[in-house]
Amino acid sequence: MTSSIRTYDLWKEYETGGHDGTALRGIELEIAKGQIIALLGKSGSGKTTLLNLLAGLDEPTRGRVEIDGMDLKGLGEKGRTELRRHKLGFVFQFFNLLPTLTSLENVALALELAGRPDEKLAGESIALVGLAGKEDRYPHELSGGEQQRIAIARALVKNPPIILADEPTGNLDSHTGTQILELLTGRCRELGTTLVMVSHSLKTCEYADRVLRMSDGRIFEEESCEGLAP
Amino acid sequence: MKRVIRSFLRYLARRKSLAILQLLGIAFGVAAAVGMTLASRSALDSMENAVDFLRGGSTHTIKRPAGPMEEGLLQKIVDDPSIKFFAPVIDRKVRLASGGEVRLLGLDPFLDKNVRSITTQIASAANSAGREKILQSFLLDPRTVIIDENVARAGNIAAGQDLMTMQGPLKVVQVFSNPSGEPLVIMDIGNAQEFFRMAGHIDRADLVVNDEEGLRQRWSRGFIIESNQQKAQTLSALLGAFKLNLQALSLLALFVGIFLIYNTAMFTVVSRRRDAGILLSIGASRGQVTLAFLVEVLLFGITGGALGGIMGYFLSKFLVQIVGGTISTLYFFLRPSALPWTFWNIAGGILLGSAASIVGSLPPLLELRRIQPVQVLRGRTASRRAGRRTKIVGLAGLFCLALALVLFLLSFLNVYIGFAGAFAFLLGASLFSGFVIIIAVPFLKRLFSSVIGLTGKIAIGNIRENLGRTSVAVAAFMIALSMSIGLASMIDSFRHSLIWWMNGQLRGEAYISTKADVTVPEEVYDELKKIPGIGGIDVFRNVQITFRDRPAGITSIDSAVLQKYARFGWLSGSDRAWEDVKRGDVIISESFSLRFKVKAGDRITIDTAQGPSTLRIAGVYYDYASEHGVIMMDRSLYLKLFNDRTINSLGIFIDGPELEKGRILDKARQLSLKYGLPFATREQFHRRILGIFDSTFAVTQSMRIIAVIVAFFGIAGALMTLFVERQKEFGIYRALGFTTGDVAKITIAESIGLGLISFFMSTVVGTIFAFILIRVINRQSFNWTIFYHLTPQPYLVTFLTAIAASIAACAYPVWSVIRKYPIMQIREE
Repeated sequence: MTSSIRTYDLWKEYETGGHDGTALRGIELEIAKGQIIALLGKSGSGKTTLLNLLAGLDEPTRGRVEIDGMDLKGLGEKGRTELRRHKLGFVFQFFNLLPTLTSLENVALALELAGRPDEKLAGESIALVGLAGKEDRYPHELSGGEQQRIAIARALVKNPPIILADEPTGNLDSHTGTQILELLTGRCRELGTTLVMVSHSLKTCEYADRVLRMSDGRIFEEESCEGLAP
Repeated sequence: MKRVIRSFLRYLARRKSLAILQLLGIAFGVAAAVGMTLASRSALDSMENAVDFLRGGSTHTIKRPAGPMEEGLLQKIVDDPSIKFFAPVIDRKVRLASGGEVRLLGLDPFLDKNVRSITTQIASAANSAGREKILQSFLLDPRTVIIDENVARAGNIAAGQDLMTMQGPLKVVQVFSNPSGEPLVIMDIGNAQEFFRMAGHIDRADLVVNDEEGLRQRWSRGFIIESNQQKAQTLSALLGAFKLNLQALSLLALFVGIFLIYNTAMFTVVSRRRDAGILLSIGASRGQVTLAFLVEVLLFGITGGALGGIMGYFLSKFLVQIVGGTISTLYFFLRPSALPWTFWNIAGGILLGSAASIVGSLPPLLELRRIQPVQVLRGRTASRRAGRRTKIVGLAGLFCLALALVLFLLSFLNVYIGFAGAFAFLLGASLFSGFVIIIAVPFLKRLFSSVIGLTGKIAIGNIRENLGRTSVAVAAFMIALSMSIGLASMIDSFRHSLIWWMNGQLRGEAYISTKADVTVPEEVYDELKKIPGIGGIDVFRNVQITFRDRPAGITSIDSAVLQKYARFGWLSGSDRAWEDVKRGDVIISESFSLRFKVKAGDRITIDTAQGPSTLRIAGVYYDYASEHGVIMMDRSLYLKLFNDRTINSLGIFIDGPELEKGRILDKARQLSLKYGLPFATREQFHRRILGIFDSTFAVTQSMRIIAVIVAFFGIAGALMTLFVERQKEFGIYRALGFTTGDVAKITIAESIGLGLISFFMSTVVGTIFAFILIRVINRQSFNWTIFYHLTPQPYLVTFLTAIAASIAACAYPVWSVIRKYPIMQIREE
């Protein structure tokens, strides 16, 4: 099995003025290429912190992260930026589309940053998430589900080997949430993309190859979602 | 990259009102600095033009160290091999019947045409018969003059009519053009001698010299030879402190402007933190994000700067009148016209606006470059970290204050070091704004919640919650208010010191003419002495001299009269010094003592008509008459040294009862009317001096107003940004049941809260700033002591300004609340 993501004794501590601010406690994790992971856990368990560290958006207090065999720390700021441009796609709970760009521009931006400007491809990507005809709409002119679809299109358009999704359905109703999960996992399976989905929702497990549970900064492997409290 | 930049720039279109407010903020900041700079530059340019016009082709001037020069010396000048051409000049002022003053030059048209062009204009436009008639009348008819177009226009006078002066009518035979702008009247020198009762004397001779060294050797004793370069240096030195003052005001305007621009740039950056986080997370580099910010900030800087350049030009048109008026009142006549419009005004504005914008955006941009993307993604929550940052910023503030203290201690080396200290102090104080907000919020929360309830508590809480933004807005507003308090307290203290000085030194019952006015014929003094009941007459003469290559003044007085009636404030020495003055010593003003580093007991050597003369200093007195310093001596010594009987002013002292005083003063008034001389009772005289004082601070007052306008935009911009950023919170308020009125109340309370914190801070900072202006800047620039006088007015006026500006600043955000609140929802995008 070739590793797509690997962490070694990953720790993250925050300054909290006397209280215990340890978000991650020695996480050891290995994710194979093309795997779809559901990372579950309660609020404050450290899920988002782990995701941010995997994306190189934050720095660990101790330990290291490897993406495709490359140590993130060793890459430096420039290398991490390049990594996010070419190898990582991001899907957020609150969509995080740029409010001043249209749907098409938001998706095209990802390609532009990757050095492959291609509006046609951006349009096709929007069509693939079922929003053909809404390319010229601004985020505030779209529903929550539509915004998340555009965010998925933005993440997928550059065909990255890894997609990190932070509560992709957390801000959506259950019907739309299911649609989004189907869309996201379906596209990743088609393209062989590694997908890490952080979620509260047990529904996510149904779409994952592997379920991980986080609790108090530690990670546990789960056979299934049964027995996991929502 | 284009899309990244586009995503930023589209904000401007989406938030038009905020963008306009920020743009105007930058524009006003730039306008203040450009306006002040242009006004002072045009005043100085006008001075050079006026000097050039009257100087003509002359290279040097020869005159006595003080007072007029004997006409007989002209023969010696003619014989001097170094002198190619010469032209005798009488240069005096004449008071017009309508109240104004004009400069009257007595010139010899035949000698003068070798030196300057004015006299060649005599009869130049007439036909040959007319030319002869005008020239004949000019030369032979006493009281015949040619006047310049400024005098003609002001008095609506044409050739053939009379120019009415306090010393009778003057017949105008021609009007000539005068590019200098100074009202000029020209009379034949012989007629001028008669008019000014100075037969056998002239004021100076203008020369065209071909051997300067030889000339100086032959005329070294009892004469002053000044080259044009020296004359320009003297004029420049005369204006030195004033120029410095203008520069300081320009810098202060720029300082407040930069603060505002910083405010704007910072709001631009912090309000895009979340977008920056998104961009970083999807692969934009920090450089790209920084560049996008810079493009937006620069766009503001360039547009606001260009607008500010245009506004500054129009502001300079207004300020130049005030500056010209002040120079004319204090130094010499100057009617500066605004500099012509040039596109460099816009270019300068753009440069200033862009540079200040970049400087202003540096701190938040640097922070952005260091911050982890995940922190940026948290968006507004990052401002909560501002509490921790406040401590670091406070430490930087302490460093600035310490630096300011060191600079003040070193300010004796150069006044610019004092200025640097003042700026370091203001900057240091402004860095404490976050700290002060943290301290003030609990008190304000109690105050506001007791007055308007929960909404008040929320409003003040918001100020604390958004410390990152509110602290900068408070800093900018506080600086403007502190300037207002500091400048007003300094002016008030100066005014009180001046009143104290006048009450001690100018105790005469009445004064005939003044130092700046026309001279008094000696017959007036003789006749005045004959009026029974007058206890003493102070015969006052003031001349400008050059001492150790710098301008200074000599004042001659009647020491016996002043010993009896005046109450001088002594810096060193006492009233006993008058006995020494009677015996031939001198006393010096504080500014003379500080400028030339001499003290009581020292000896100084001055150039006199008899050659160099060494005099002992008997005392040093407080004085606000001239920042260049004054040597005061008894008239008998002055006459001996300078042989100049000119009188500038007569102070009348009376011992008798009130009724008797009225009768004596009436007689003195009649006498001065007879000679066409201005007459003023003590109260009128003091009032006139205070009027001059107030007019000299008109520029300063203008800058106070501009500073407050600039700061107003700072507060308005801050409120508007907070409003735009808080749309989600407003949605929550609405969901909780707050009415539109409640939310409008929160916005108003926030604004007033910011205004109150700024005001309270400015009472301390402004008072210290007043001390700095008084003890460091004024003392170094003008070399005189101002006694600090606490008056409530500056504080009251500033408080009302703060409240009014706060309410005005929240008008637009409140209007937006009323318009948008009913449709606001809880949503992220």
